[in-house]
This record gives sequence, C-alpha cells and structure tokens, in this order.
Amino acid sequence: MSAKTKAWVAAEKKIGRKAALVPVAFGLGQIMAGVGQVFFAANLLAAVLLPGTAVSHVALDVAGFVVCVLLRAACLHRAEVMGFEMGAAARRRLRSDMFQKLLAAGPNGLRGRHSAELASVAVDRVEAMDGFHSRWIPATDLAVLGPALIGLVALFTDWRSGLILLVAGLLVPVAMAMAGIGAGRAASQQFVAMTRLQVRFLDRIRGISTLVLAGRTADEAAALGKAADELRVRTMRVLRVAFLSSTALDLAAAASLVLIVIRFAGHLGAAPGLVPVALFLLLLVPEFFAPLRSFASVYQDRMAAEAVAEDLVNLPPMPDLIGAVEIRSVAAHGVTLSFEDVSFGWEERAVLEHLSFRVPAGETLLLTGASGAGKSTIIDLILGFIEPTEGKVTFNGIELATVIPAARERMIGWIGQKPVIFGGTIGENIRFARPEASDDEVATAVKLARLSEVIAALPLGLDTPIGEAGFGLSGGQAQRIAIARAFLKDAPLLLLDEPTAHLDPAVEHDVLESLKRLAMGRTVVLASHSVLALEFARDTGARRLDLDAIRHAKLRGVA
Amino acid sequence: MSPVKKILRLWQAHYWYLAFGALLALAALAAGIVLMQNAGRYTATAVLGGVLLVPLALQMAGVARVVLRYLERLVTHDAMFRALGGVRVWFFTGLAHSAAGGLGMRRAGDALARLVNDVEALDGLYLRIIVPGLSVLMLLPILLVMLYHESAWALLVLPLFLGVAVVLPWRAAMLAGDNATRASLAMAGLRNAALDALSGLREVKIFAAEGRMLAMVQARESAVLGAQRELAQRVSRLNVTGFLLAQTGILLALLIGFISGPLAAVVAVFVLTAAFEAVSAMPRAGVLLGQSQAAAARVVEAAEAGPAVADPARALPMPASHAVSFEHVSFRYAEGLPFVFENLSLQLPAGSRTAILGPSGAGKSTIAALLLKLAAPQSGKIKLGAVDVAALPAEAVRSKIAYLSQSTHLFADSIRNNLLLGDPLADEGQLWAALEAAQLADTVQALPEGLDSWLGEGGNTLSGGQGRRLALARTLLSAAPILLLDEPCAGLDAATEMAFFETLNQAAKGRTVVLIAHRLTGVEKLDRIWRLAGGSLVPAAN
Repeated sequence: MSAKTKAWVAAEKKIGRKAALVPVAFGLGQIMAGVGQVFFAANLLAAVLLPGTAVSHVALDVAGFVVCVLLRAACLHRAEVMGFEMGAAARRRLRSDMFQKLLAAGPNGLRGRHSAELASVAVDRVEAMDGFHSRWIPATDLAVLGPALIGLVALFTDWRSGLILLVAGLLVPVAMAMAGIGAGRAASQQFVAMTRLQVRFLDRIRGISTLVLAGRTADEAAALGKAADELRVRTMRVLRVAFLSSTALDLAAAASLVLIVIRFAGHLGAAPGLVPVALFLLLLVPEFFAPLRSFASVYQDRMAAEAVAEDLVNLPPMPDLIGAVEIRSVAAHGVTLSFEDVSFGWEERAVLEHLSFRVPAGETLLLTGASGAGKSTIIDLILGFIEPTEGKVTFNGIELATVIPAARERMIGWIGQKPVIFGGTIGENIRFARPEASDDEVATAVKLARLSEVIAALPLGLDTPIGEAGFGLSGGQAQRIAIARAFLKDAPLLLLDEPTAHLDPAVEHDVLESLKRLAMGRTVVLASHSVLALEFARDTGARRLDLDAIRHAKLRGVA
Repeated sequence: MSPVKKILRLWQAHYWYLAFGALLALAALAAGIVLMQNAGRYTATAVLGGVLLVPLALQMAGVARVVLRYLERLVTHDAMFRALGGVRVWFFTGLAHSAAGGLGMRRAGDALARLVNDVEALDGLYLRIIVPGLSVLMLLPILLVMLYHESAWALLVLPLFLGVAVVLPWRAAMLAGDNATRASLAMAGLRNAALDALSGLREVKIFAAEGRMLAMVQARESAVLGAQRELAQRVSRLNVTGFLLAQTGILLALLIGFISGPLAAVVAVFVLTAAFEAVSAMPRAGVLLGQSQAAAARVVEAAEAGPAVADPARALPMPASHAVSFEHVSFRYAEGLPFVFENLSLQLPAGSRTAILGPSGAGKSTIAALLLKLAAPQSGKIKLGAVDVAALPAEAVRSKIAYLSQSTHLFADSIRNNLLLGDPLADEGQLWAALEAAQLADTVQALPEGLDSWLGEGGNTLSGGQGRRLALARTLLSAAPILLLDEPCAGLDAATEMAFFETLNQAAKGRTVVLIAHRLTGVEKLDRIWRLAGGSLVPAAN
C-alpha cells in the first residue's frame, strides 16, 4: 500500500470516527444494557437456586430484566440504523467529491482514462466503502471500549474474575501477534486471494469473444479451474496459520468461562451470597467477547477500503481556479476571436508553435490539415479545456484565461464528430442545451435543424426515449440533435469539429445545409478535411488556415 | 428448477466435502452448547451442595469447542474455494458457448462486469447461508433432546427458537428478494447517470451542465440509498424481533425454573443463551439468500443462453480452398427490424486484399459477424471454398480466420501468454518472428523481462499503438489463411494508424486480407475497395 493510499484511508477513518460518535454511544448503551440484563438474569437464577427469595424481589428482577432488554433492543436498532446512515453519508460525500473533481477537470483532464472505467469507480468502488464507515469504524471503537467497560465491571464485582477476563482479553491480541498475524490476517489473506482470482476472472470474461474467436475456450476454462485450485491450495496454507488467531479468541473465551467456574466452584456451597455474583460473571463472559467477535467479522471491510483507496487516489487532480481579481466577463454580442502567438504541446510533443490568427465577428475560419495537425487542439484551446503553454487566446481582446467559465460557456456553441445522446427523451436531449427554454423555442430549434419530420415519425414525438435504452438514431439524426442544441443555445461563437466525419456523403450534404443556416450571423471555426466542407466554406466566404502548410513552411524555413 | 438450485447442482462433485464442513460446523456449535450446559450444571451443583466431580466434562467440551471451530473454519473455507472455482469454470464455459453472437462483437464490457459481480455474489452461498442454515436445522433435534432431558417444560421455549432460526430468516429472504429488483433498477439508473455525465463531459462543459449532471447523479444515488435504507430498516426490525424473541425465551426458561426445579432451570438458561447466540445471525443469512436468488437467476440465464447460430447436425468436411464468397445474402438482426443488407454479393478470392468502407452503422461489422458464424443470414449463402459455411462447424470456420478488431482483448498476463493465444504450440523463435513482423520486437526486447513482462489490465502498460501491434503479432501467429481486420486502429491517432497499416502491408503477405474501416489512411495496399452504403456494396475509387 502506497503512502498516499495509507494517508487516504487514515483521513477517511478520521472523518468516519467523528461521525461515529453517536452510533458508538448507542453501541456502548447496548453493551451497558446487556450488563444490566445479565445482572438481573443472574439474580433470577440465584433465586431459583436458593429457595426463600421474596416474591417482590423476583418481580423486581423480572421488571429489571425486561427494561434492560427493551433498552438494549432500542439501542441495537438505533445503532444499526445510524450505521447505515453513516455509510450512506460517506458514499454520498465521496461520490459528490469525485464527480465535482471530474466535472471540473473536463474532457482533457481525463486523458487516458476511459469514461466507463471512471463511472464504475464512482459507482461500484464508492459503494464498496459502505462497510468501512457503517460497520468497521464503530466496531473498531467498540472492540476496545466494550471489553474494557465489561472488564471494569467484572473487576469491581470480583477482582479475580475481572482479572481472568481482562487477561484473556489482552491475550487475544498478544496471541494474534505471537502467531505473527495481525488482527485480521486471515480475512486479509482471503480477501487478497479472492481479489486476484476475481481480477483474472473478470479479465477473461471481458476478453471472452477474443478467446472464443481464437478457439481457445476449452484451454482457458481448464486454466481458470487450475488457477482457482492453485489459489485454494496456496490460500489454505496461509489460512491454516491465520485461523489460529480466531482460535485464540475461542480459546480465550472458553478458558475464561472454565476458569471462572473453577474459581467459584469451591466456595459457593459455603457462601450463598456469592451465588448471584458467580452467575453474573459467568453470563458476562459471552458479552465480554461479543465486541471482539464482531470486530473480527468486519475486518474485510477495511481490506475493501484499502482496495478502493488505490483507485480513488489516482483520480485526475483538480484544476486551479482563476483568482477572483482577474475574473471578467465579455459582452456577448459578436465575438472577435484571436490567437496571439499561441504554443501548445502534450508532454514532449509540440502540437502548435507560435500560431497567430484573427477571426472577426460574424466571419468563418476553415481549419484544414491531416489528423494530428492540431485542429482539435485549437478548438479545445478556445473551449478552455486546455490552456496555451505560451501566448494567449482572446475574445474581443480580452484574454480567455481571465473570463469567468460561465461567461465563456455562454458564448460558445460546439458540434463535434459524434454528439453524446444522454439517457432520456429526444426533447430532453435537445433541451440539454438550455433547460429553461420554452416549448416554442424548442420547436423553432427543431424546425431549423430539420428534425421536424424525424420527430413526427417517432411514436411519442418529442417524448420518445432515445439513447442506450431507447430508440436508436442514425448518425445523421444524432448530428441534427446537436444542431438543434446549438440553435437553442444561440451562442455568438460556433465551433464545428469535423461535424460530418462519420456521415454518409448524401447525409453529409444535408447536414451541411443546416449548418450553413446555423452559421449565419455567428463567428465560426470549422475544422474539417471533407470536400463538402470546403464547399461550405466557399459558400460562406470563409478564410482558410491550412495547418499542414504552416508546418511545411516551418520545415522549409529550417532547411 | 430454481436458479439457486442449479448453482447448488454444480457443486455435486464436492457434496461430501461440503457436507463434512457443515457437519463440523454443527459439531462446533454443539460443543459450544455442551460447554455452556456443563458450566451451568457445574455451577448449579456447587450451589446446591452436590458432589463436585473434577470438571473434566467441562474442560473436554471447552477443548472440543476450540478445536472443532478451527477445523470447521479450515474445512468450510477449503470447500468454498472448491465450489467457487467450479462456478467460475461453468459460467465461463457457458458464456463462451452463448456469448459469441450476443455479446462478443459489441463492446459489452460493463454488462459482463455486472455479471461477474453476480457470480461473486454467489460465493457467500455456501459459507454464509448454507453452513449456518444447515447447522442450525441440525441443531434443532439436539436441542430438543437436551432440553427435554432437563425439563419437559423447557420445551415451551422451542417455538421461540424456531421463530428466530427459521421464520425470521425466511421473512428476511422474502424482503430482500422483493427489494432486490428495486435496488438493482436504482443501481442501473445511477450507473447510467454516471456514465452519461462522464462520457458526455464535453457536452456537459459546453452547455454548462455540471450542476445539472451532479444533481442528476445525486438524485439517482438517493434512489439507490432509499431502496437500501428501506431494506436496512426492515432487516434491523427483524434483528430486533429476533433479539426480543431470544430474550423472552431465556426469561421463560428462568420462570419455568421456579416450577421445574433449580438445576434444570440453570442448565436450560445456559444452553439457550448459547443456542440463541448461534442463530442470531440467521436473519442476515436470510437477506443474503434473498439477494443471491436474483443474482443466481441472471447468472444462469447468461450461462445457458445457447449459441446464436447452432452447429450443423452433420458437418461437411472442410474445403481445401480458402476463397470466400457471399452470394445474395440478406440479413437483419430480428424480425420486424429493417434489413441491414439485402441480396449482397461479394467475392474474396484467396490471397486477395479487400477493403470494405462505410459510415458507422452501415453494417460493415455485420459482414464480419456473418463470416465468423456469429450470426446467420436469413437468405443467401456464405461459402468457404465451395461449401456453405452453414454446413461447417463454427469452430472449424473460425480456425481459418484470424480476427482483429479494436475490441480484441489483451489479457492481464505475460506478453508470452498473450501471444500464445494465437498458437499455443509456437516456440520462442516463432514468437519473436511474429513480434518482428508486427514491428514490436525492439520494444519487447527493451523491457527488463522481455517476453515474460506482465501486461496490466487491458494491456494498459503498453501504449495504444503498441497494444494493437501486440494484438497483430498474436493474429499473425495463427496459421489462419484469412485475416479479418475490423477497424483495428479505431481510437488511435492518425500517425499511429498509418504506421500500423504500413507494418500490415508487409506482415500479411500471402494471406487473404479483409479490412473493414470507415475510411482509409492512404498507405494500405489493396486490390479492391468497396463502399457499403444503404445496404449494398459499390466499388469505391480511392
């Protein structure tokens, strides 16, 4: 476990322990009520054994027993319910943190991480933190406080028996340590072994079609069986030793019971007054060891937390926020965009070097060049997803880095190669651009994006579910939704990043027509290398920036 | 047969071992109860001034309890490991049989991961449900005899015991079963919202929807927590009920003591304390059972789905020629859906190099699926040599085709084992030759452990381009005469893609090459180029 992971688990524990104060108090209440219950039960037993106890005493003991049981039940219930709430609050906090980070980092902050993988961390891995907060933390505190409390009660009742219990209680961790095993080594070994098998199994299942098509199913099934069996043999070798720690707990419990019986055996006949005391202490033995047992049973929750920590500490870092002094807004009518001596590179590879250009308000710039020439980089710089390593990008003369993100977002419309269609209806997907838009505005956007016919043909019109679980859309239809979104948003600056790369030539033509209409009156940056897009640019009187030519010119300059 | 029963059937080979484990659990439980019984008897006898024997029985029970518990843990864990290995092999084999058509071609990693979660949920079946369940049931007659021996009156407590050991867990299983559907729906909702927010991050930023997305995720999360909270509260109520029943039983036994005699009462109280403690975890086991049922149902359904294309009852011998032809093929995924293509014909002579281009969704990958017998056409024929592939076993057809796509999986294993998938009998020299051909030999040589270097999950210790090259090397190791490449470089940058195809031009010499792509990079060496659009193939000038 790395230092970073350890620190993360420690920080979680600190937060958790603070939140656990009340549930731990209820847990202690439960233990104290248990002691009371045992006390009254012992009195009743003594009354049975020694005839002549007054009926009123018996009635009092019964009443005491009942009250303690009810109190204990209430505490048990509260502790359980609050434990759940602690786990729920922790998961909610972790998920919100994680999403806030990821949403702030933006698409380029996730470079190299697959969104599905991150989603599974946010959902499943965070879910696995439940046990740590709802069970492990309270159980850890109670495993110390509970036996200490009961041991003290025993010590005051009969110092010899108290000593037996406390020594036994202290011997449990000592015995575990002597076997060279931490408190939950057994659980930890089993957890690690299981995790390894699970990772292998999941990997083979994910790649199952590769295995099937390569004709290797039978071999792999046999190998899987063998891996499981090897794992069993290896794990059992460890568990054989590791279970001794649980045995130490059993031994301590059984030995203290036997020793307490023997301690009282010789004296009871002579001193009837000792009878309730002896019975009380005997019945106290299981109560003394119960918190230790429940601690041992939740140890794997801690192991799970450590595994989760590995994933969570490796999330992308949060981007720096703009200093409050620098924040500015820009008038949102007509945007003149300019790049002034902008350079940008990923690690060692330079993508843009000292690039300058200017797009006056209402005009169109066509970006051409082979893939990798920097078209998408320019678009991402304008979107603010990445920042130039040198130079500046300005809107109406104001440096982009100093504009409030919200103001910048208001000014920019964007259409990429493939729009993301969210789970929901087609109407919700269009409205995604501006949730507060009126029905009329949505209807206009639909018409302008030439979606009216598509929607009229759908069974529920705008309310038809689309996306993964719903009605499938063709590439052209999906792109029209993106256009409708852009119309609805009505931003003065429009970025088009290869908007027709995935479309059929016939559909491409159609989509370009709609884009032409969208481009009217806006400042447009169009990145594309399609022939039709060149026509589009010609029709709109665009200027062209050929990134390949710039690069070659530079190369020639060097030569 | 219920799904859980089906899973239990899988353990047939280990029944004796599993039963032995449960028996040991019972013995350990019984020893614990005998220990308490003796402790009670010994104390009571001492009080009543009876003859004190050396507490041998007490010590014996104590030792037996400790030793039996240890053995129980060992045997039940060993048995659990055996059982879960069996479940995994069965599930893998079943899925391999059925999934190729349904899941194999699509990127279905997440659906599969969820199924793997379900398989894992079944691991607790033996250790946390069956062992405690069986031992408690077997404990019942022992308890009956013991209590009857002390005092017939004490039997009055048995219904309470039954309540905790049987009725409450059964209730818990019902509650958990009812809750499982709601909980898993809510969970799926949360997963979709998370996936939407993260895969649509670009749109989210551009439309300033961060707050909306976060609110959506939180709302879905609340639904998940709501479902879980409902179950937690109900189960907590059951637990409290169980506790109250147990304590009522003990109080009853105490009061009975006033009628039936002191010794019996003390023993009964001690025995019942131990017995109720043993069953206190039963409602929890009931919850697990209720939840496993849904998981078992999903696992069994996936594993038993059966193949999409059944093998012919009597297969023809494999033809010698490797020429492929599609003759008037029409195909659609289901009745009522539009045809992906109708009357499609295509010749792929042995040794030819063909590209099939087209926009996404045009049905390019469907051609690959039909050729690999992952789907069967509604009409028309696909021939290998002169034989209809419908008359050939799928495995034999696939052995002639080396398939490489963007979803070709690299396994979390050594580079060597990843390569050996292509040809398990390949020797060191052949492995290096394949790496050489894929132009990856230098990279692998530079690794400290060479061929035995470990690849991370999904091959993530290699770069994207290197990963594709490794997959290519594996494909080249296979003796298959036909190379079928379905967008092998999707998701990689243009320079990497071009370099890959330049390598391929050299490496694939002598084999039939079928390249499926939405566009070409310009460096591919091809004999013919087709464009698939609107369900038909037209020659494309590139």
